[in-house]
Amino acid sequence: MIEGVKRTGTNEWEVPVGYIPGMRVPGRFFLSEALGAVLEPGAIQQLANVATMPGILQNALGMPDIHWGYGFPIGGVAAFSLDEGVISPGGVGFDINCGVRLITTPLEKKDVAGRGDLIDELFRSVPTGVGAKSSSLKGSAKSLDGMMIKGSRWAVENGYGTSRDLVRCEDTGCMKEADTGTVSAKAKQRGIPQGGTLGSGNHFLEIQVVSEIYDAHAAKAFGLAAGQVCCMIHCGSRGLGHQVCTDHLKVLEAAMRKYKITLPDRQLACAPLDSPEGKAYFGAMAASANYAWANRQMITHTVRQVLSRRFNIEYEEMPLVYDVAHNVAKFEEHEVDGKQTRVCVHRKGATRAFGPGAPDLPADLAGCGQPVIIPGSMGTSSYVLSGTQGAMERTFGSTCHGAGRVMSRSQAKKRQSGHEVAANLARQGIIVRAPHENAIADEAPDVYKPSDEVVGVVHDVGISRLVARLSPIGVIKG
Amino acid sequence: MSFVELSHTADVRIHVRAPTLDLLFSESFEALMQTIFGKDRRGGHSKEIRIAAADTETLLMDFLSESLFICEVEGLVFTGASVVTDGKSLTAVLDGEPFDRSRHAGGTEVKGISYSGLAITRDENDYMLDILFDV
Repeated sequence: MIEGVKRTGTNEWEVPVGYIPGMRVPGRFFLSEALGAVLEPGAIQQLANVATMPGILQNALGMPDIHWGYGFPIGGVAAFSLDEGVISPGGVGFDINCGVRLITTPLEKKDVAGRGDLIDELFRSVPTGVGAKSSSLKGSAKSLDGMMIKGSRWAVENGYGTSRDLVRCEDTGCMKEADTGTVSAKAKQRGIPQGGTLGSGNHFLEIQVVSEIYDAHAAKAFGLAAGQVCCMIHCGSRGLGHQVCTDHLKVLEAAMRKYKITLPDRQLACAPLDSPEGKAYFGAMAASANYAWANRQMITHTVRQVLSRRFNIEYEEMPLVYDVAHNVAKFEEHEVDGKQTRVCVHRKGATRAFGPGAPDLPADLAGCGQPVIIPGSMGTSSYVLSGTQGAMERTFGSTCHGAGRVMSRSQAKKRQSGHEVAANLARQGIIVRAPHENAIADEAPDVYKPSDEVVGVVHDVGISRLVARLSPIGVIKG
Repeated sequence: MSFVELSHTADVRIHVRAPTLDLLFSESFEALMQTIFGKDRRGGHSKEIRIAAADTETLLMDFLSESLFICEVEGLVFTGASVVTDGKSLTAVLDGEPFDRSRHAGGTEVKGISYSGLAITRDENDYMLDILFDV
C-alpha cells in the first residue's frame, strides 16, 4: 500500500490528517489487497486534497473503484455542512449526471444470442460516437428547456416512456433545484442537437443476460430473473453538461479569491453553498442532471421501439429496473454526530446506495433498498446490488460506480487493435459495434479492473449487497 | 511533434514543450484535435478567436475550451492553429474542414479541459506544461 496510508480493517484504509498540509478530516477508502496493488498514488493525493475543503464532514471517502481523475478522485464522495461547506464542480465532473440504467425484457438468451442484425439495428438507431447528433428525436429550444426543468418527466410527457419509469429513477429523474437561467447560451446551443445521443469514451449500450442471482428476494422486487435479457445504458449530459462545468469552473475559480479559499488543486474550485456563485453552479448542475435523465429516457425509448418491432413485444413489457447518477452533488439528510442533518453530498464516479426504508424509494422497493447498477467492461459482468443501512452509516449512502481503468487509452491501442478485441469477444459470444475500431481497443475488457473484485469489496464492507450478475452478449460503444 | 501523451488511466494527459508561448498554445491545440479527431485532418475553412484572461494557464484553458465549443456547434475539425499571445490575451487563426465521419471518428470526445496539475513552466530553452483532457 502507498506509504503513509494506514490499514483500519479488512478492506478499509485511512489517509490520516497530516498526510498533506491543511487536511480537515481523514481520508477513508475501501479496497482489497488485489485492488490496492494497482492503486495510483495520484488518487490518494486527490483524496487528501478533498479533505482540505471547507466544511467537509467526517471523511473524504473513496469507493473500491477509486482511481486518479481530476479534482476529486474518481470513486470519490464527500459531504459538506450547509453552514460552512462548499460546492465544487471538481466533485461532480464535466459529465454531470453521467449515469446508468437497466431495463428488463421478456426475452431469453436464445432469442437474442448471436443476433448481429439486432445489434446493428440498435447501433443505427442510437446515435453514438464523436460528432453524433440526434436522429429522429429533433431538439428545439423549447424541448431543451423541458429537458432541463423536468428531466425524465419531460421525456415521458413527450412519449419517450411510461409514468412508471419515473418512480424507478433516482430523485424520480428530476432535481427540482434546476435553474435554466444559470445555464449559458453556449451550453444550451450544445444541448439542443444532442438529445438521445450516447456520446463516446466509456459510454455504452449493452444487451445482457441475467446469469446469476445472489439475492432472490431483492431480485424479484427489482423484476430480475435468471436467464432474462436486459439492456443497460450508460451516458450523461453530453455537451450541455460539459459546457456548464467549464463555464462555472471559471466563475468559481475566480470566487475562491473573494471567499479567501485556498486549495491544493485549481480543479477543486468551489464557493460556499449559500453564495451567489455556489447557488448558480448548483442550479445549472441540476438542470444538466435533468437533461441527462431525459437523454437516457430518450435512448431507452429508441431501444424499446427496436425490441418491440423485432420481437413483437409490448413497450410496457420492458420496465425500468432503476436509473442511477454517478456524477452529481445533492442535498440529502444523513446522520452526522448522532443527528439527522441536511448536507450536500458530492459523488464523483460513485453511486447513491440508499438502504431499506429510505424516503426516496418507491413503496415496492422500500424493503430491499435502492437498486444499484454497476457496469463492468464489455467482456466482463455487470452487477445489480441493493443499497444498505451500512452505506447510510458509513458512506453517506454511497457505493462504487464501476470497475475503474488500469490502463491508459494509448497503451490499450498499442497493445491490441480494435479488430482483435472484437474478434476475441466474438469468440466468447459477445457482438461489438462501434463507430471506429479505436473505440473498441480503448475499452478492451482487461483495461479495467475486474468488476467482480470491486463489487466483492462493497458487498463485504457492507455498503451495498449483491443481487444479480449480468453477462454481456451485445455491446454498442460510443 | 512537441507533445507526448503521459500515462493516465482514466483520462488523457499530455506533456507539451515548445520554444515559444505561441507554439506551446498551438501544440496544445494540436494535441486536443488529435485526441478527438485523429490525425487525418485538412484545412480550407478558417476561424479567428480572440481571448483575454487573468493568467496564462486560464488563457490556455479558455482557448482550448472555446475550440471545443466551435468544433461541436459548427461541426468543424481543425488541422492547425496559428497563435499569437502575450500570455494574457491571444489571437488564434484556426484552419480546418467540416466534420467527416469517415475520417474523423477515430478519436474520443473531450468533455473538458482540467485545471488539475496545469502549470506552465520554462527552462532555458522551452516553455512546457502538462494538461489533462477529460474523455
